[in-house]
Amino acid sequence: MEATHTVTITNSSVMVDNRRLMTMQTGTAMLTELYRDHVNDYPKFFKMDLLSRLGFIATELLLQAEGATRFMERTDRAVVLFNHTASTQADQAYEQTIHHREQFFPSPSAFVYTLPNIVTGEIAIRNNYHGETHLFILPTRDTELMRRMLGPITADPLTRSAVTGWIDAPDEHHIHAELQIIQLYGT
Amino acid sequence: MPNYKSFNYMELKEELKTRIIEALNLEDIMPSDIDDDAPLFGDEGFGLDSIDALELIVLLEKHYGIKLKDAKEGKQIFKSVNLMADFVARNRKK
Repeated sequence: MEATHTVTITNSSVMVDNRRLMTMQTGTAMLTELYRDHVNDYPKFFKMDLLSRLGFIATELLLQAEGATRFMERTDRAVVLFNHTASTQADQAYEQTIHHREQFFPSPSAFVYTLPNIVTGEIAIRNNYHGETHLFILPTRDTELMRRMLGPITADPLTRSAVTGWIDAPDEHHIHAELQIIQLYGT
Repeated sequence: MPNYKSFNYMELKEELKTRIIEALNLEDIMPSDIDDDAPLFGDEGFGLDSIDALELIVLLEKHYGIKLKDAKEGKQIFKSVNLMADFVARNRKK
């Protein structure tokens, strides 16, 4: 397996293929800044929870670096992500809408993000991917375990590449994504 | 019968627009961008989906005390701000 492009996003920095992207903001505001500067054609971004926004921006930067034709339906690319805090931020946001008995108004738009693998769905919908999608919750970030888990998932003859890596966003001040595009040998 | 020319009715429509924008996270949309008769859903609307329709149902109950007996009622009520305002004016409990 060979990584062809990489993106790393932390609370205060963005690297694409080891080149730093200049940003003025940090955290959640930085994701919005990146959206406006590098995407700006997908209003659904503003409906997403923090984890999905992070995954969306990270893959947008990654796929722009790849430079291939986008949005054509494809079944040969997997999306396999790893995470530790699941959808904690979305869970807490939803809980706020049902916390007080006298103000009990469950929010449907908050509820739909209370599953961490929704981020893989958002990536697949945006890019018209119809292949494998997975999100695994790990006790800690373990790159060797991630590599071992990726192997069997991408062993089928249909999968030729994968967007994969670590993505975690427990709150607005702690975001971390390290994603790459992996080309599979023999494809 | 609501007084459609009353200040309160005009104020209600502006209030609805502000609440719709906030509830549906319509970034970059101002109340002045929403025409009273413009379709909210569909190709000519604001890209809203079924989850947004559910959020509008919650909005009716949360801010106006209106509980829809059937979610399908929303199809007619949410066609435009004018229709929403008319429905709220007739049925609001708060």
